[in-house]
Amino acid sequence: MTETNIYDANVDQSAKDAYFTAGQGQLIWTRFKKQKAAMVGAWVLVILILSGIFAPFLTPYDPTIAGRDKDYLNGAPTIPQFCDDNGCSLRPFLYAVERERSLATNFRWVTKVNTDKRLYVQFFVEGSEYKMFFMTFNTHLFGMEEGFIHLFGTDSTGKDIFSRTFHAINTSLAVGTIGVFIAFVLALIIGGISGFYGGWIDSFIQMVTDAVRTIPAIPLFMALAAFIPDTWSAEERFFFISIILGFIGWPTLARRVRTHLLTERNQEYVLAAQLCGASSGHVIRKHLLPSFTSYIIVDLVISFPYMVLSETALSFIGLGLKDPVNSLGVMLQNVTSADVLLNYQWYFIPVIFFIILVMAFVFVGDGLRDAADPYGDTKK
Amino acid sequence: MVQFLRFAGIRAVLAFFTLCLVSFIVFSLMELVPGDCAERYLAFKNSQGAQISIADIEAERVRLGLDRPFFERWVKWIFGAFQGEFGDSCILRLNINQLLGQKVWLSIGICLGSLLLAYAIAIPVGIIAATSRNPYLNNSLRLVSYLGLALPNFLLALMIMLFSTMVFGNSLTGLFSPEYRDAPWDWPKIKDFLSHVWLPVFILGWSATAFAIQTVRALMSDEISKLYVTAAAARGVSGRRLLMRYPARHALSPIINSLGFDLNRIFNELPIVALILTLTEAGSLLIEALARSNDQQLAGAIIFFLTGSIVAINFITDITLAIVDPRIRRSILG
Repeated sequence: MTETNIYDANVDQSAKDAYFTAGQGQLIWTRFKKQKAAMVGAWVLVILILSGIFAPFLTPYDPTIAGRDKDYLNGAPTIPQFCDDNGCSLRPFLYAVERERSLATNFRWVTKVNTDKRLYVQFFVEGSEYKMFFMTFNTHLFGMEEGFIHLFGTDSTGKDIFSRTFHAINTSLAVGTIGVFIAFVLALIIGGISGFYGGWIDSFIQMVTDAVRTIPAIPLFMALAAFIPDTWSAEERFFFISIILGFIGWPTLARRVRTHLLTERNQEYVLAAQLCGASSGHVIRKHLLPSFTSYIIVDLVISFPYMVLSETALSFIGLGLKDPVNSLGVMLQNVTSADVLLNYQWYFIPVIFFIILVMAFVFVGDGLRDAADPYGDTKK
Repeated sequence: MVQFLRFAGIRAVLAFFTLCLVSFIVFSLMELVPGDCAERYLAFKNSQGAQISIADIEAERVRLGLDRPFFERWVKWIFGAFQGEFGDSCILRLNINQLLGQKVWLSIGICLGSLLLAYAIAIPVGIIAATSRNPYLNNSLRLVSYLGLALPNFLLALMIMLFSTMVFGNSLTGLFSPEYRDAPWDWPKIKDFLSHVWLPVFILGWSATAFAIQTVRALMSDEISKLYVTAAAARGVSGRRLLMRYPARHALSPIINSLGFDLNRIFNELPIVALILTLTEAGSLLIEALARSNDQQLAGAIIFFLTGSIVAINFITDITLAIVDPRIRRSILG
């Protein structure tokens, strides 16, 4: 696997020095870079995270009811083009969409594409206001002077699915992050106490941890979600759901922390520190924690997609986030009717993003795990 | 032998405690849900046109024993539960045993089937993923199995249903064809059951595979770089024989240990798949009980069955591992 064999005497001394003096993080990064699948996953992930963060700028419309296009409900995606029968243009354009209702259409609203009228796509247009990094902007990457652009079509209320998807990625990542963070803090405290002190404290905590792991999570969610008053706003719901996710996700992580601490605390360097008179807190912070931060990060990345999946599952059964909020779970919930499957296939575009997001996380997690394995270099 | 029995005994006691602890947590959670059984029942009667006063609610509460302290009710409930008696459902007013009946065993069976399927795929694929040097084989195997995780299973269920409706004209929903639903178990019914049950088992199994593969792969790649494997290779053991006899045996025993928790993960997915495939077994009943009607008694009973089966599996795997794995056997027998 290694490009430069460090055990080879001919290898440049400076490369060797760099290898042997590299920190844990650098070593992991070097090994990680060599795995193609994981690197592809990492790039996809970075792009998705960035597009989630900059969603308001990248998308042309407000994803809520305020940004809806009331003349284009359940509309098919409008794809900008450069050429048509009337010749080509350097700027991408769309055709104007008109809505009409007459005797010819049996008095139903029918949208018609007017191929004679070109509407040009504009870049850096001013549109609806949004907040990013505590500042208010109104510039969007692209948009239309006149008419609307819907790259992924619109939903039943005329909201732009493109805008919704990117905002949904943002929300789902945020829910996952908060959930993982809470799980992480709990796991560190509980697993830390259990592993550091051992003995009966350890046995007792392990029993409780196992009991928590035994409770099926979805019923637990349901009981807790039933507890949410209907009057709560979308934001309060959002935080509550992330907190629940965190409270359910900790046991697996806590177990890992404990196992690691149990093996690590009997090492000689810990004994040395204790003999020098270091307090427990000092030993934990200065010696034990740094010894496995990288493993914890790996575990966090691995547990992340499961958090996102739980959020979608919850939203799907209608107990998680609800429609005005844009989360991937809410977007997935929208595709579950046969009507959508047969007639409005563009509702599936967010699903593709969801799948890509989960896959990217899993591959990066696998890659990080392999990279963090200190014996990974010696094999193969 | 005596020591082994003692080990088994201690494990059994621990399992019992876990079950009590879990039931306590579940019971307390049920308590959090606003409103109680009496209120809900009378609210239902009220909607039927009967005039209900506060006094009626109080009387009903006394009749159901809801005026007792929380702890006392829990003790009573858990005693009943261990005797297989869960009382009446709050909303449906039916005996819970009657209501659940064989549904519980069917859903536990489906989940166990999915678990088996998941590991039947995960163990070979995980081992290949950890050891193969062919990146294309490795990545494509992982891609397919992780797709099971990434494809939301309700979506998968929906798409398979829609596809089969359009191609075969049969929506594949439910667990039995109508004519067998209430029939006693015999050979044609079993055949009918098997022709329906593969779909939920497949969907649940596929999504469980991803996590199982991650575990197998991680454990395998930890073991494979150890010195005893190198030593065995140096002695001339190679190929599949090397993998199966040396690292795989070590790597797989922690998996046996975590089977119970994997089952838990599948239980989580079950209600969702059940909802889509309209399987009227415990899974979708649970959603009914909790999400729609807040039926504490029924939900409590279902969760008790589910956790009971997880605890039972954990107990069985602990004992099996103690018999099979010489390291654990040695530590018990001294």
